[in-house]
Amino acid sequence: MSAEPIRSGSEYDPTSWPEAKQVPGFAGDTGEFATLSEADVRGSAYVGQRPADGGHASVAGTLPYQVATSRADAPLFVGPYEDRLEKVLSRYPDRQAALLPALHLAHELRGHLSPQTQDEVAERLQLPPAYVRGVATFYTMYNLAPVGKYLIQVCTNISCNLCGGDAVLESFLKHTGTDLGEVSANGLWTVIEVECLGACGFPTAVQINERYFENVRPENVPAILERLV
Amino acid sequence: MAEPTPTPENVSVTIDGMTLSVPKGTRLLDACAQAGVSISHYCYHPGLSAPAQCRMCLVEVEKSPKLVASCVGTVADGMVVHTQSENALKAREGVLEFYLVNHPLDCPVCDQAGECKLQDYVSAEGPPMGRSKEPKRVLGRDDFGGDVMFYADRCVMCTRCVRFMREVAQDERLTTVQRGSRTVIDTFYDEGLTGNIWADNIVDLCPVGALVSKDFLHKARAWDLDRTPSVCPNCSMGCNVRLETRDNQVMRLKPRPNPEVNAHWMCDFGRLNYSWMNRVDRIEAPLVRDGGRHVPMSWADTLTRLADALRGAAGGARAVVSPFEGNEGIGALRRVLEAVGGGDGVFRCEQGEEVILPGFPELALRRDRAANVVGAELFGFARTGGADGKGGLEQAAAHTGVLFVLGDELADAPADFGANASLFVYVGQHLAPAARNAHFVLPATTFAEMEGTFTNIQRRVQRFWPAQRAPGMARPSWQILGVLLAGISEAGAPGTAADAFAGLGAVRAEFGQLSWAELGAQGAVLPGVRELQETGD
Ligand code: SF4
Ligand code: SF4
Ligand code: FES
Ligand code: FES
Repeated sequence: MSAEPIRSGSEYDPTSWPEAKQVPGFAGDTGEFATLSEADVRGSAYVGQRPADGGHASVAGTLPYQVATSRADAPLFVGPYEDRLEKVLSRYPDRQAALLPALHLAHELRGHLSPQTQDEVAERLQLPPAYVRGVATFYTMYNLAPVGKYLIQVCTNISCNLCGGDAVLESFLKHTGTDLGEVSANGLWTVIEVECLGACGFPTAVQINERYFENVRPENVPAILERLV
Repeated sequence: MAEPTPTPENVSVTIDGMTLSVPKGTRLLDACAQAGVSISHYCYHPGLSAPAQCRMCLVEVEKSPKLVASCVGTVADGMVVHTQSENALKAREGVLEFYLVNHPLDCPVCDQAGECKLQDYVSAEGPPMGRSKEPKRVLGRDDFGGDVMFYADRCVMCTRCVRFMREVAQDERLTTVQRGSRTVIDTFYDEGLTGNIWADNIVDLCPVGALVSKDFLHKARAWDLDRTPSVCPNCSMGCNVRLETRDNQVMRLKPRPNPEVNAHWMCDFGRLNYSWMNRVDRIEAPLVRDGGRHVPMSWADTLTRLADALRGAAGGARAVVSPFEGNEGIGALRRVLEAVGGGDGVFRCEQGEEVILPGFPELALRRDRAANVVGAELFGFARTGGADGKGGLEQAAAHTGVLFVLGDELADAPADFGANASLFVYVGQHLAPAARNAHFVLPATTFAEMEGTFTNIQRRVQRFWPAQRAPGMARPSWQILGVLLAGISEAGAPGTAADAFAGLGAVRAEFGQLSWAELGAQGAVLPGVRELQETGD
C-alpha cells in the first residue's frame, strides 16, 4: 500500500481550518500553516478513521503534518522561511527566547542541526554559538546528526514496554536493516528508541517524522514501511 | 531608581543564635559570613550572578516552609536562621552525597587537591560513608584551548565558568551541553578558548579540579606552595596577585581580590609570564672593573669606591631605568642623580595592544607591559625607544659623564655602550653584554625578591613582598642606591623598604603624603591624582 499523493492546498477550502483561539500568550498566526490544507496538516488518511496499520481515531484530529523533504544543504531563512523567522522573532521579547522555534525552522529545512547549522542560527539570532549548542543538545527532539528520510521513533517507555515495545523496536530494526540510530544504506530509515511519546493509551506508540502510529504490533511493521516508500 | 538612599536601611537577623544588624537586601550567605559562619557553596561567587544552581548553601529559616538557598535568599527583619540545625545539616549532607556519586576519587593526582571545595565540604559536613554501588560515570577530559584543560568527571556543574565567560569576559565560549546525568561543560565544537586572554580566570573559579591550567598541571601540589601577596609586574595595571613558590621557584600567579584594581581577576598574559622571575643567569656579586676584567668585591668596598668615584665625577649624569623597578629604587636613583649634579633619565617599555575585560572595564591588559611606567615618569624619567622596548639609547651611549643603568638589560645596546662614559654604573639582575663596559656592576634583586611598591596606571601605589630568596649578594636596588646616596650626601641610609619609601617624599611631594603602613595590602592612590589627570600630566 502506498501513501496517497499529497494534494495541493488549492483543492481544499481553507476556511475549514478553525479560527485560532486567542489564548493568553498567543501572539497571532505565525503564517507557518498558511499554505497548508487541513489534509496536509492532519493527514487525510487519518481524519475520523482508524487505519488498519495503526493509529487511533480519537487522536487522529491532533496528528500533525508529516515532513519528509528536508535537505541538508537547504539555504536557511530565505524566502518564506525568512518571513516565518521574522514572525517568530516578533512573538518573543528577545532573540534568545526565539531560539527554540528558530532551531525548529532550521531543523525542518535541513533535517538535523549540524554544527554549521547551529552556527548559522547563532549568527542570524546574534547569540553565542556555544549557547546555541547548549540549547540544541538539551532537547532530544532536535537531531544533531543526519537521519534517514524517515525518522522512526519507537517508544519503549513503561506503557509501550508492557505492550511489547521492545519487540516493535526489534522489528523496525530488522525490517530496515539498521542498528539503533544508524541511517540505512538507502538513506530512508533511521530507527531510534524514545522515552514516552505521550500516547500511553495506545501502546506501542511510534512516531515517524511528525506522524503518530499507534497500537503498532511487530507484524504491522512491514506494512508501515511499505506505505512510506 | 534615581531616588537617593543615603543610609541603607538596616534589618536585624538572628543567625545561629547571634543577632546582628545588616543592610536590607544582604544575601543570607554574606550575613552568615558576618556572623562568622561560613556556608558551603559552589555556584555562588562574589564576582558573578547567583543562579542557586548547586543547592549546597541550604540553611533553615524559621517560618519558611522549606530550606532556603542562602546565596539568593536575602535577609528580612526579624529573620531567624539556623545553619547548623539537623534539617540543614542533613540537607547539605544529602547534596554532598549526590555530588560524590559520580565524582572520581582521584584526589591524589587532581591538580586541585588541597584547594578543592568538594574535599573541604565533605570533610566538614559530608556523609561518613558512601552508599553508591554503581560504577561512576567516565566522561574523560577535553582540551579547551588556551591554557585550560577540562576534566569532565570532576565537574560539579556549578556553571561558574560559563557565567564568567558570559558575564565578565563577555565572550560566551562555554556552555552546558547535553542534559541530566550526561551534562558537561563544553565549547562550541572545536572552537576553544584560544584567543581570550581572560580565560584562565575560570581555572581559579572552578571550585573543584575540573578546570585546570595546562601550565601548572602536575607541577606542584597546592599544599607545597608558599604564597606571597604581590603585584603583577607585567603591565601598568598592577593586578593584585599571589606569587606561589616552591623551592624558591615561582610556580604560578593567582589573582588576589582588590575591588579597586582587578576585582577577582587577572589576565593570562600576566599570569603566564613569570618564568623570567626564575631565570638563573644572575649577577651574584658586586663587580668592579680593574683594567680589562671585573673583580668581585664586598659590598662595603664596592660602594666606598663608587662613592669616591662619584664625588670626583664631572660631566653631568644620565640614567636608563627599567620600568620593572619599584618606586623606591627609581626614586633613590633620582636622588643620586640630583646629588651628582642632576641629569636626564630615560626608560624603555615594551608596548602591546590594550585588552579590556568587558565585564569589569576598569581592568585591562594595559599598553605598557611593565609595572612601574607611571612611577618612572613621576620620578622624572622620560619614555624613549620604540614599542618593542628597544632603541632610544643614543644619547645615553654618547654620554661622557656619569652613566647609570638601573635594571634595563640593554639587550639591544651596541657592544661599546657606555664606553664613552667617565663612570658607568650598572645596577641590574642580568649581566647583559653591554653592561660589560661598566666600571661598577651591582647585583640587584628582582621585585619578587624584595619589598617595595609600584605605581599603577591609576596612580595607585601598591606594595609587594619578597617571595623568593635573592641569589648571592644581590640586594634591592633601593638599598644599593640608598646606601650610595648616604655615602655622597647628607641623606641617611635606608634600613628597610619603609625607610626607602619615606625618602620618596624628597623627590615627589605626593609620596610624602602616603604612609607605608597605610598602603596595606590594597595600596593607596597618590594624593593630587585629579589635578594630575586633568592637566594631562
Ligand atoms: S568546570 Fe568547574 S567551574 Fe565549570 S561548572 Fe564545572 S565545576 Fe563549575
Ligand atoms: S592586566 Fe596587567 S597587571 Fe593585570 S594580570 Fe594582566 S599583565 Fe598583570
Ligand atoms: S509509554 Fe509509550 S507513549 Fe507513553
Ligand atoms: S551557592 Fe547557593 S545554590 Fe549554589
